[in-house]
Amino acid sequence: MSELKHLKKEWKAIMSCMNCGDCGFAIRPVVGRYLTCPVLEAKEEEGFEIYFSRGRMNVLKSILEGQIPLSRELAEWVYQCSECGNCTEVCHMSQNPYIVLPTSNWIDHVKVWEALRKDLVEAGFAPLDRHGDLIEYMNDDNMKNPYGEDKDKKFDWINEFPEIKEKGDLMFFGGCTMPLRQVETLKSMMKILKAAEIEIAMSKDEWCCGSIAIRIGDEKSITEMIEHNIDEFKNKGAKTLFTACAGCYRTWKKDYPELLGYELPFEVKHITEILVELINNNKIPFKEEMERVKVTYHDPCHLGRHMNLYEIPREVLSKIPGIELVEMKRNKNNAWCCGAGGGVKSQFSELALKISQERIKEAVESGAQILTTSCPFCIGNLSDAYEEMDLEIKEKIKVIDIIDLISSKL
Amino acid sequence: MSEVYKKLERVVSKEYLSKDIYLRHAYSRNVDLVLQGVPDIVIRPKDAQEISEILKIANEENIPVIPRGAGICEFGGSKPIGDGGIVLDMKRMNNIINLDEENHIVTVEAGISWGKLNEYLCHFGLYTGCMGPGSGMSASVGGGISHHSVGGGGCAKYGACTNLLISLEVVLPTGEILETGSQANKYSKFPFNRFGNGPDLAGLFCGDNGIYGVKTKVSLQVFPKPEFAEYKTFLMPRKSAETAAQIMTEIRHKGIDVYDAMFIPDVVIAIGSDQGFFPLWENLKRKRGMFFYTIEANSEVELDENVKKLDDMILNKKSEFLGPEIADGNIAKWHYVEKGHWQLYHNLWGMFPSMQALSAECFCPISAFPKILQDVDQWDIEHEVDMRKIFDITKIRPISGSGPVPLVDGNTVEITTGFVSFWRYYNEEIHEVIKETNLKLWKSLLERVIKHGVQWYMMGDFLSRFMVDIGAYSEEFYNLMKSIKKTVDPNMILSRGKFNFWGEK
Repeated sequence: MSELKHLKKEWKAIMSCMNCGDCGFAIRPVVGRYLTCPVLEAKEEEGFEIYFSRGRMNVLKSILEGQIPLSRELAEWVYQCSECGNCTEVCHMSQNPYIVLPTSNWIDHVKVWEALRKDLVEAGFAPLDRHGDLIEYMNDDNMKNPYGEDKDKKFDWINEFPEIKEKGDLMFFGGCTMPLRQVETLKSMMKILKAAEIEIAMSKDEWCCGSIAIRIGDEKSITEMIEHNIDEFKNKGAKTLFTACAGCYRTWKKDYPELLGYELPFEVKHITEILVELINNNKIPFKEEMERVKVTYHDPCHLGRHMNLYEIPREVLSKIPGIELVEMKRNKNNAWCCGAGGGVKSQFSELALKISQERIKEAVESGAQILTTSCPFCIGNLSDAYEEMDLEIKEKIKVIDIIDLISSKL
Repeated sequence: MSEVYKKLERVVSKEYLSKDIYLRHAYSRNVDLVLQGVPDIVIRPKDAQEISEILKIANEENIPVIPRGAGICEFGGSKPIGDGGIVLDMKRMNNIINLDEENHIVTVEAGISWGKLNEYLCHFGLYTGCMGPGSGMSASVGGGISHHSVGGGGCAKYGACTNLLISLEVVLPTGEILETGSQANKYSKFPFNRFGNGPDLAGLFCGDNGIYGVKTKVSLQVFPKPEFAEYKTFLMPRKSAETAAQIMTEIRHKGIDVYDAMFIPDVVIAIGSDQGFFPLWENLKRKRGMFFYTIEANSEVELDENVKKLDDMILNKKSEFLGPEIADGNIAKWHYVEKGHWQLYHNLWGMFPSMQALSAECFCPISAFPKILQDVDQWDIEHEVDMRKIFDITKIRPISGSGPVPLVDGNTVEITTGFVSFWRYYNEEIHEVIKETNLKLWKSLLERVIKHGVQWYMMGDFLSRFMVDIGAYSEEFYNLMKSIKKTVDPNMILSRGKFNFWGEK
């Protein structure tokens, strides 16, 4: 039997699950709640209870009580979870200024899943195959990114922008996904910043933020990675570090301080927080728009539920000329996940695509012509799912990163 | 078991059944702290025909089968009693089959949740009135029918879930598929009435706790949701429970058609305020019990008239109106408007980590509930030694008492009394003494409450057998129940063990 070192620390959460089942079945329209678990719903008729939180908590109770062991088979179930945190949201849904739910102080499902994943890794039952590759690439000194690309390739796009400095107060953390898979969006970002006359700096020796390792539970190299990244930006004089990736943002702003036990020596912002300031200060010269277009915003889990950043992207969108912001049926804290997170996209890609297709259909139902979001992982998965959808859907809606959307309005 | 598995695979394709050890543990528990039963196989059937075939195989092989709706029973009713057997996960059957808009009758598959059903109905200006069990909007319609459930809202006006029932499709334990009510006549084109065509056979399955048949299709009467509503909360005077009981009785005597009327005992207000769970009541000078009502109406005039009658009646009892908003302490508004009342139990059951309820949910006459609540307090004092055993480990004493007491149809209330305690796994260690003490205390409390002559509706694994074990059933009632069981389920394969109907193991 494994030591269950990490899981034991989460005993309060596990043993406090009341089995009410809201994390599987809750529909409460008055507060915008229409079901909870994207994996359970994507499994459709095969949706056994082990796919959502209550069933998993029951398994964990049995594991902590020594009835069943950790195993590779368990890992196959466990990693079919995008760690979107919607189960925590519904668990504490009635919390308000007048009625405080004490369980919200100790039930945090994502923390439980991550503890379990760490124990699975330490016991040798994880990472799963594809996750193992990502971790290997990320730790490889010639790569330092989970895509298996050469380390320098991440910085190729910078060559087009000699104005990007090596040191400065405002530094950009590029992450891995955008520079290696969505470079056009970074060019859009530079177009906006240039138009707003904002100078930024970058390090050409940033490593992967380590989000993938934390989410998968394989943290053996994480401390070195964090310390390298922090030193790199601190030494280059950063007062504010910003990123366009929701995953990097959560990792830098929440995970790094938690893992290190101290605050970072600079402020961490998401690109939308930079953009909203520029828009409010009239720094972005939008062209006049005659046509109006309906846009809906998908809340990335790592930005919304994990970091409570809901309003700023909406404020950005609402201030772009010609854009009418419309909400999907499930939005903000009730938003449906895109399905990419928690390692689902890399290990269970069909599942991830199915979840995204559900989200795109919901966007179409909102009447929007554009589905936008502020996370390259969400954009990647939504775009992949979009490609596989019927022409009828494609004629109704497009999937565009919020940065590209703004850039198109200059 | 592998032979059985192969046989079952021929009924449902392999995607819908599993014998995986982890998956089986996911289905091994319900809401309580102490009961567990790990099935051998879990199946997600798609329709009555498949269930019929599964039950036939179970009979051939003498394997128990336990139906599971949303799995929220507080007495271990939707997991096996002991290990083994087949769990039928009914949540695959969660579709709306038909809405008869002319007659306001909806027909659904039994695994659908009350939440999903009401979300569908609201687009037609309709609702189920009784909004299901207290277990939130997640509980299944089939489970509500199997338990006469109440507590999800609207039960003062509409009664228990079973009051809505028009017709049932049931698979008998031997595999026959039966329809009740108007559908007993094979020429009937659609369900329209429960009674007639002979005895009320639907009633046999209402509140049967899943022993006489597997509910697969349910037709319910639904209602237009009234346009107007008012909801008010009052602080009770001394002897709050007695006063609340007087108010409830007077409501019935005067024939005022309240949607909900609920008493929240002093202990909930006192502990909740002390622990900071109820900021809406933190400024009250006196932490006493609360009473609230909700009333609906089809016109403002009708609403105003009834509200005046209710307010006069309640204020006459030296009660204090708390104001219209949730911030003023008006929890009735939160219940009706935000429908979050199920989660109030996070405050009452989940006060400290790993704390959950061992409850005693039952019906009793309005006039009886104050005495029962007092007796539970007395029971608590008498069991200090056992409570202390748990305190010695957790440093927190289990807490006895009652949650909100809602008025049900007629002159009945539901009481959710009991005590909250801890899992045997506490602070990273297993403490068998906690589990043993919990079981001992639970039995003792249930026996005490049974002797007040209450009526149980959700009985599950534990309580159904306990009633038999302590000889609480009248002999004639139990014998008839057993005779029916033997007739419909000669091998006792369905929900084996409930009410001590074991058959041959």
